[in-house]
Amino acid sequence: MSPGAWLAADPLFAHGVHWPELLIVLVKVVVAFGVLLVSVMLMIWFERKVISDMQSRIGPNRAGPFGILQTLADGIKLVFKEDLVPERADRFVFKLAPYLALVPALLIFTVVPVGGVVTVAGHRFELQVADPPFGILLVLALSSISVYGVMLAGWSSGSKYPLLGSVRASAQMISYEAALGLNVVAVVLTAGSLSTRAIVASQASAFWDWNVIRLGFVPFFLYLASITAELNRPPFDLVEADSELVGGFNTEYSSIRFAMFFLAEFMNVITMSAVVVTLYFGGPDGPVPRFIPTSDIWMPVVWFVAKTLVFLFVYVWLRAALPRLRYDQLMDLGWKVLIPVSLGWLLIVAAVLVWGWWGLLVAVAELVLALALWRSFSVGAARTRAKEVF
Amino acid sequence: MAQYLPIFALLVLGVLFGALSFLASGLLAPRKKPTAAKLAPYECGIVPDREPPARFPVRFYLVAMIFIIFDIEIVFLYPFAVVFRQLHTFALVEVLVFAAVVLVSFLYLVSNGALSWGPGKWLRVGLPARTSESTIARVSVPPPPGRAA
Repeated sequence: MSPGAWLAADPLFAHGVHWPELLIVLVKVVVAFGVLLVSVMLMIWFERKVISDMQSRIGPNRAGPFGILQTLADGIKLVFKEDLVPERADRFVFKLAPYLALVPALLIFTVVPVGGVVTVAGHRFELQVADPPFGILLVLALSSISVYGVMLAGWSSGSKYPLLGSVRASAQMISYEAALGLNVVAVVLTAGSLSTRAIVASQASAFWDWNVIRLGFVPFFLYLASITAELNRPPFDLVEADSELVGGFNTEYSSIRFAMFFLAEFMNVITMSAVVVTLYFGGPDGPVPRFIPTSDIWMPVVWFVAKTLVFLFVYVWLRAALPRLRYDQLMDLGWKVLIPVSLGWLLIVAAVLVWGWWGLLVAVAELVLALALWRSFSVGAARTRAKEVF
Repeated sequence: MAQYLPIFALLVLGVLFGALSFLASGLLAPRKKPTAAKLAPYECGIVPDREPPARFPVRFYLVAMIFIIFDIEIVFLYPFAVVFRQLHTFALVEVLVFAAVVLVSFLYLVSNGALSWGPGKWLRVGLPARTSESTIARVSVPPPPGRAA
């Protein structure tokens, strides 16, 4: 792709980069940053409130109306707390880790399309912080980097439980990242582009063109499971399994550094929900797009927020409803179910797109391979039992 | 470069936000009064008597290595997903063959038990079942005369 096409990808830069464009970029970035921070604040409140309702408790109700300022109060309290670095910690890495958790969490949101195209004072621009041609790869890359934040935080603490938590976390996160990547490929197959704006545009005609339906539901559910694990949310929150690992990787963190991890975690929940909406639910596109005039600025944003809220609720619901998995169950689910099924489904989608219904022959071949896989699982378990290597 | 500019701006903003928060906390937080107990690794009140483990099970490294296989497959799948409409049958057959090769290596790993995670004791058959009889150690109660110790 030529540099000119890159520039034209966002109409804002169609005529080169000048001061007004830079100002718009700055405003977009600051607004996105502010919206993210405020939404994290509201998300934590929402989670505590919904969970307390599900458990017949009242939940936070003192700070502000309905306790809505509780998160702010907690944050301010953490700022005023003594900031300890344990004596056995690797000081540099210990202080670096919160940045490695926070910055990727912020950056993922840049590629999420929030709304349509807007014109302000003669400048047309997209309601999206940036629309690079590799959009969805940035999401994958940054979610890999956030593994470093967790891993280094636990490793540098110089303590047992954080180390165990972080080693588990990194094994878990890279396992589910493979499943995550495979399910995103399925979306890229139908869109034919890595740009998030193009992915949304490819689903725009009607709601039965949303990828969740077009790809046959399976990739969506696999993707939802793998990002739940990637985010270390219950029922996959082995990282901070408080019944066995104290607090997991952030046990030794206190004060504002702990707050940064907490912020990053919830920011990741919000951005990943937004990414699910982008990939599988048409992003800012309403269920009946022709019903709403495309020039409307606010309706797409409202649809986007509404769809994201549904997923935020789903995460809270999962946390309230499901017990935590055991570690071996978690790894089995990732490697023996999610990855093979995602890969198989992806190849069927590709074959059907290329060969039409003859592509289903690939599905038949995969059934045979699935039997071989099933056999090798039992052989593997039997050999492990025989060796007694533990 | 225009599309990278907002991302870079947000990166700078994020790092600044982190740095300023740490600065604010440094100014507002109480003066550090470290004690031996505060600085020791937290182990639920037990005084840690040994170094944290410098090594952890090989199994975790194994997961990282198996991940590389699949990651390489994913790396090849992305270009395929973008251009498969132009390359048509050729690209699809290539990807199917490649996926089959990766699958064979995966079958080999799995059938050698690389992904059998459960604790060995649970996988082993023939051990007596764990009941309160076998797990609770009776301290200071002498065994009844009829039973062997």
